[in-house]
Amino acid sequence: MELHITRRTNRIRSPRPRKRNSLNRYMRGVGFLFILPWLLGFVLLKAFPILAALGFSFTNFRMLQPDQTQFIGIQNYITFFRDPRAGSSLFRSITYFVTTVPIEMVVALGLAALFSSERLRATRILRTLYFMPSIIPAIAISIVVSGLLNPNSGWLNQLILKPLDLPSLPGRGNFFQIVLALWTVGPGFLIMLSAMLNVPKEIYEAARVDGAGPAARFFSITFPMISPAVFFSLVINMISSFGGVALLDRGLPYSRSLSPMESYISSQLFTGSYNLGYASALAWMMFIVVMVITLALFYSTRYWVHFPEEDDNEEI
Amino acid sequence: MKKSSLRQQHSDVSTLTLRLWEFTGSSLLNLFVWIALVAYLAPLSYMLVTALKTAAQMRDANAPLWPARAAAFTYQGQSLLIYEVPTSAGLKQWALAEPHITYSEFVDPADPQAGLIRWDGYWGDLKLVYHPGVTLANFVSLWKTVNYPRLLRNTLIVISLGEIGILCSSIMVAYGFARFPIPGGRFLFFLLIGTIMIPDSITLVPTFVIFGRVLNWTGTFYPLIVPQFFGSAIYIFLLRQNFKSIPRDLDEAAMLDGAGPLRTLVSIILPQSIPTVVTVALLHFFNAWNEMKMASLYLGVRPDLQTIAFSAQMYQSYGFTPEVLQAGALLLMLIPLAVLFLSQRVFMQDMVIAGVEK
Repeated sequence: MELHITRRTNRIRSPRPRKRNSLNRYMRGVGFLFILPWLLGFVLLKAFPILAALGFSFTNFRMLQPDQTQFIGIQNYITFFRDPRAGSSLFRSITYFVTTVPIEMVVALGLAALFSSERLRATRILRTLYFMPSIIPAIAISIVVSGLLNPNSGWLNQLILKPLDLPSLPGRGNFFQIVLALWTVGPGFLIMLSAMLNVPKEIYEAARVDGAGPAARFFSITFPMISPAVFFSLVINMISSFGGVALLDRGLPYSRSLSPMESYISSQLFTGSYNLGYASALAWMMFIVVMVITLALFYSTRYWVHFPEEDDNEEI
Repeated sequence: MKKSSLRQQHSDVSTLTLRLWEFTGSSLLNLFVWIALVAYLAPLSYMLVTALKTAAQMRDANAPLWPARAAAFTYQGQSLLIYEVPTSAGLKQWALAEPHITYSEFVDPADPQAGLIRWDGYWGDLKLVYHPGVTLANFVSLWKTVNYPRLLRNTLIVISLGEIGILCSSIMVAYGFARFPIPGGRFLFFLLIGTIMIPDSITLVPTFVIFGRVLNWTGTFYPLIVPQFFGSAIYIFLLRQNFKSIPRDLDEAAMLDGAGPLRTLVSIILPQSIPTVVTVALLHFFNAWNEMKMASLYLGVRPDLQTIAFSAQMYQSYGFTPEVLQAGALLLMLIPLAVLFLSQRVFMQDMVIAGVEK
């Protein structure tokens, strides 16, 4: 507390422009040095492939006939707007983001809240067990999913629905997607849990003394305190519902992805004509959509993501 | 005097009610978690049960769900499978001796002296009789086909070096983004997020040109390890969120005391971020453990350098059937699960460390 006051008074009493400037310059330099590893990696390893992909999107590059590659202008982008399958893949990705991602995040948040509670016993083994479905490797996961959820021979039908005389499940589709998302909740759960463990316990004690119940404590302390981690999960889940990257890789090959849009891009890339040009254009269209959503999400942070000393740095 | 004892009594009752409430709440919470666990354990139990089945049971659609073996009866030196045969005298368990299309001949294991019994109908429609029984044959055949010690050694080399690289670089970069007024920092940060949004498959070819042609790293571990030393955009983002949620009071105090930025990072920021740093380390461990895209691209030419996930990808080409694949997947999960379980110790201790710092 004392320190806080010193800092404030310092700020008011000592403008000292010259010294402040040199300090600022020093801080900028140090900050730049700290981000240098990533910047170097970006320039050396990432920038060329990304620019190349942008270049490919204006050509008819087919991986099997690279010598017939020609510059075709924005033809690939025009094709995108006339391609109903591309549109429906993009739409299904948006649907995934709007329906499955919230369910996944609420479950991850709920699990993290449960597991950070001191009332729960045997948390070490329980956390491990809850995380476990998230690391089932790619070679097994599709067999497991159909073995459990198959409308006829699956365990769910044989062991639960049939004995209880309930109708069998509606084939493939959203239900599979949601179940699979719940079995992939592990990393989000881990991230939110670690954020909750970072919240100082004294704050809860103070709130408890003030008579705040569990729900009030969650919404007025836990959620604001971990909102940066929730925001991270939201952005990453959003990006992975379109493509790009998954928080946890089960070891799927390139040609198989859980996101509809990325699956379509891969199908253009690894089947038929191996059309890298059109696939790149699709990826860039997806990039624009995802970037717009990301910027909107970042804009929204000022209303619900809490950082200490928000006023000190206006940057998000 | 009287009044105060009354108050005492009253508060005793209310603590008791409170305790009762707390006990009920805790029990319900524990109960709920254990019930919900069923949904999360279903995949593992399916894998385990399947891995313990024989190939013959997997092929039989009428076989029970649990691991079981078809019952057999030895008749005149031959092992015959026992079927459930519907007869006029009810359901009989007979061993099939002479299968034909329109009729078959059976032996009654209870009375083999009676000889062959003729039964009209197609034997293929009958159900086999199963007795519970597990087999470890799937694990044995995996162990014989796959060179696990070598795969494990390769994978652990890649993971441990990569882990050092990714933790050092991501922590430093995240600290830079979280705490310093970098010129154009906002743009650079969106650039960082932007790199996550472009699918690997699109940049696959030019990336291969860099690693394979320019650097000539095909057939080495370098393409799997070196990029980690430049940080991972996702982990940088995650760590930055965490660093930014730590109040600045302490690190500004440390700086006033003359601690340099690196010193502040190591002695002030990191001790308050242990759960998140452990999370990043774990996520990278799991990702590197399962990573097969880079491995298949750059290590395909060197079978002696293959990693465990890459080799798992080839199980299907070895002709392994689903039950062996499940056994292989279980073996593949053993070490990540052990690492996750052991890491919980760090999660439990975190508050103590953070408490000392505060």
